[in-house]
Amino acid sequence: MSVKVSGKGALAQVLRDGVHSDTRSAVIVVDLDGENSITSLTKLTDTYIDEIYEQPMQRVITALQEAHSTNCERIVVVVPTTGMSGGACYAPQAALAESARILVKSAARQWGTNGITVNAVAVEPHWFSIDTSISGAVAIAPRSLTNEVSPVGVVTWLCSEAARDITGQTIVCDGGLWM
Amino acid sequence: MNARRLENRVAIVTGAGQGVGEGIARRLAQEGATVVVAARRAETGEPVVESIRSAGGQAVCIVTDVAVSESVDACVADTVQQLGRLDIMVHNAFMGGIPHKLEKAQIDKHWTPMSRTGVWASLFCARAAMPHLVASSARPKGEGGGRLILITSPSGVEGSANIPLYSPAKAAQRAIAKSLAREWGEFGITVNCIGPVAGSPALLTAFDRNPALQQAIEARTPLGRVGDITDDIGSVALFLASDDSSFVTGQTIICDGGSFLGL
Repeated sequence: MSVKVSGKGALAQVLRDGVHSDTRSAVIVVDLDGENSITSLTKLTDTYIDEIYEQPMQRVITALQEAHSTNCERIVVVVPTTGMSGGACYAPQAALAESARILVKSAARQWGTNGITVNAVAVEPHWFSIDTSISGAVAIAPRSLTNEVSPVGVVTWLCSEAARDITGQTIVCDGGLWM
Repeated sequence: MNARRLENRVAIVTGAGQGVGEGIARRLAQEGATVVVAARRAETGEPVVESIRSAGGQAVCIVTDVAVSESVDACVADTVQQLGRLDIMVHNAFMGGIPHKLEKAQIDKHWTPMSRTGVWASLFCARAAMPHLVASSARPKGEGGGRLILITSPSGVEGSANIPLYSPAKAAQRAIAKSLAREWGEFGITVNCIGPVAGSPALLTAFDRNPALQQAIEARTPLGRVGDITDDIGSVALFLASDDSSFVTGQTIICDGGSFLGL
C-alpha cells in the first residue's frame, strides 16, 4: 500500500523515505516556517499572518480533504510541540501547529464511522527550524531520552492496520521532553 | 466593604453587543472598570452601554470590525484618546460556526470567517493593545496590570464533530495565549483564555428550537446547566482581569459546568 507524504523540508523527506504501511495512508507534515520568528508582536503584519498561518492552515485543510477523497484509511498530521507549549516570538506558528493538531480531533470524530483514523504526531521543534532559545523551553525538565529521536516508527505504526483502534490522538515523539 | 476590583481600569470587550461578550462587559463594569463595548454594529453595542450605565457603570460603544486590523487599531486608539488608558483587552467576537462536513468544507464559506475573527483578530487585538498593556503593568501595584483575555471554547481542546473547522480556530487562540504569555511575561502582562459554555442568544435560540439539545447538554454537565453569561462567565473574566490572577498566565479556564474534564 502507498503512503503519501505531503509537506516540505527535511522532516517530510525523512518520512517519505522511511514510512511504509499495510494500509492506504496519508501523512501531512504541516508547512510551518520556524525560520521566520517575529521579535515583537508590534511588527506583525497582515502579510506575515497570511504567509505563516493562513496559507499553511488552508493547505492542511485541503490535504485532509484530499486524503479523504482518495480513500485513505489512516491519516497522520505531523506538527511541532510548539503548538502545545506556545512559543515566544512564534505566536502565528504556534497557532498553526495547534490548529492543525485540534483539527485532527474534529476529523477523527467525523470520519470514524467510515473506519478512517486521524491522529497527530508532535515532534521536537527543531524539525521545523524553531529556535527554542527564542521560543522558550518546551518543558521545565530536560529531555528524558538522550538519543536522537525519529518519528518514523511512530508514524509508521499509526499508518498501520495495527493502529486501527487509535484515533483523534496526539502522540508526542520528542524523547520525553513534553510530558 | 471591599473596594471594587477594577476601579479606574479601562477594558475593551469585543463582541460585547450580545452573549458572552455582553456578560463579560457587564461584570467588569460592575467592578468599576470603564468598559468599551466594541461591537460591529452600534445597534447592538449602544443598548448594552445604556444598560451598563443604568446599573451605575461606565461604558462607551466603539463600532469595531475585529476582522479588519485598521478597525481594531482605531478602536484601541479611540479608547486611549477618550479614556486615557487601556488595561484589559478581551477578545470575544467571533463569526461563523456553520455545521459542515469536513470533506466538503469550503475555505471561503466555512473557514475564513472563523479564521479572520478568531485567529487573525486575536493577533490584531494583541498587537494593538500591547503598548498600553505594558504601560498598565508599569503602574504601581494595585493601580494597573495589563491583561489579554481570549475567549476560546472547549471545542478548541477536544475537536468538534458538528463544526470541525470551528475547533482549529479556537485552538489557535490557546496557542497564541501561551505564546504571548511567554513573550510578555517580562512586562508583567498576563495572557489567558476562557472556554465557556454559556446561555448566549444563539444557544438559547437553539434550545427553543430543539429542547432535546438543552436536555442533552444539561445531562452531560455535572452542574446540570449552561453558564450565565454575566454571573458565571463574566466572573471568570473578572478574576483573570483583576489583581487576583496576577500570577496566572498562559492558561485556559474551561467554564462549562464540568462538562469537559480533559485538561
